[in-house]
Amino acid sequence: MESPELVELRRLRALPPLRRWLGYFQLGGPGFMDAALTLGAGTLTAAMLSGARFGYKTAWLLWVSMGLGLFMMAAMARFTTRGQGAVALQNRHHGWLVGSLMTALVGTAAVAIIFNYGQYSLGTHLIESLAARVGFHFPRQVNWVLYMAVTSWLTLSYGRGGRRGIRFVETYMKLSIAVMFVAFGACLFVTGVNWPAALRGLFVPWLPPGGYGLDIFVASSAAAIGVMDWFLFNQAGLARGWGREHEPLARFDMSFGLFLPFVIVNFLVLAVFAETLFVSGAHPETAQELAAALEPLLGSTWAPILFYIGFLAVPISTTVGMSIAGAMAIHEAFGWEHDTSRWRWRAAALLPQVGFLAVWYPRPVFLVIAIGAFLSLTDNIVAWSFYLLLNDENAIGEGRSHSRFWNLGLMLQVTLLNSIAIIYVFNRLGWWFE
Amino acid sequence: MRLEQRIGPASLRAWGLVLNFFANGLLLYGAIGYVSDGSRVGALGIGALVSLSCVLLLSSPSR
Repeated sequence: MESPELVELRRLRALPPLRRWLGYFQLGGPGFMDAALTLGAGTLTAAMLSGARFGYKTAWLLWVSMGLGLFMMAAMARFTTRGQGAVALQNRHHGWLVGSLMTALVGTAAVAIIFNYGQYSLGTHLIESLAARVGFHFPRQVNWVLYMAVTSWLTLSYGRGGRRGIRFVETYMKLSIAVMFVAFGACLFVTGVNWPAALRGLFVPWLPPGGYGLDIFVASSAAAIGVMDWFLFNQAGLARGWGREHEPLARFDMSFGLFLPFVIVNFLVLAVFAETLFVSGAHPETAQELAAALEPLLGSTWAPILFYIGFLAVPISTTVGMSIAGAMAIHEAFGWEHDTSRWRWRAAALLPQVGFLAVWYPRPVFLVIAIGAFLSLTDNIVAWSFYLLLNDENAIGEGRSHSRFWNLGLMLQVTLLNSIAIIYVFNRLGWWFE
Repeated sequence: MRLEQRIGPASLRAWGLVLNFFANGLLLYGAIGYVSDGSRVGALGIGALVSLSCVLLLSSPSR
């Protein structure tokens, strides 16, 4: 018997675009999971810094970088809707070094563990600031327990009771993004928008002169989405049982679930800082300093509270997304079945919770450097692998790419990721700009 | 050009990716000199030309 979702998909296909998209929005999910994962402490700090330093001038990088990333996401959608796990495909055609090691264990699982330190650090700081705003003392040395309880519960809800648990977490991710829209949008309503400058920033490319500009361009365009996002989209789609007929839904999901939320949320944050810190000339460095510097500039009582609530949705959803992606990666790397009711799954999913140590200690620097180096040097090889698989008839048969435009987008993404690896080596050799 | 044709251990498409990587390196090496003091224009030009050729050639889907 056919699944009700397939029947619904066929019904939607016959509807006019707007009604069809509304239906797709309800059925979508993996794209929103990816957006919530990508909109983490690092991405939002970059948007805040850009707004505070350059005003609206680098806003165009938001849609260019995510737009380029969509070509690789479309490749993931193709693998998924042909019932293929990306890592399993890589292991079969390019070896375990590229699949299990570069993509799953280091590119996803290790990143989830190490980068969750940053989410914990930001999340507990925001809870402390929010509590202080409403008259409570709730220091991060205590509130990490609340952060851990909420994110662990959400993470372990994925797959609990089958599809219902998956839909629950996907719905949570959609709501998180909605909270970010409302909170940052309300702050922007308070600060106002310089529309001519905003439109110029969005559509007229500008970069700071010299090597710094080259750095910003390469880093922003290549790093908007990476290995973990590609992997999660593929696995979350497979968990939903997506097949051939889901490909239009998958493409809608990556455009309206990932691309639009990424661009809009980042733009809102960048704009808030362009209208406040850029104008005042202050230049704080970290997310915590940036948020603290913004607080008095938002004026009224409710605007800073809304900002903190919206900002808190950022690390929580990223921790949950990374933990699920990390568990999937460990299972894929060893060829284990994704059984969310087993202790093996729970242990793998909760590994990133070690990030609670960030409340007392900075991230383990040697691990951050080692993983950062490994990612810089291997992300491009993972991208080569996916590009080759998409063009390999032996790998996905008739599902292979027949489009020059699609391949062109993938090659541009590959070239940017190559540049990251090359710049890393040049930096080590002392050849890159000071 | 048949990009799926095998040459040694890999297909022409895979060798194209390797060539593109080295061309990207040459392009960036040239870009550093050009942005810093206007030097290495040759490396920049060759790197850009080979990178562009690789990207365009490797955009062809397999038949």
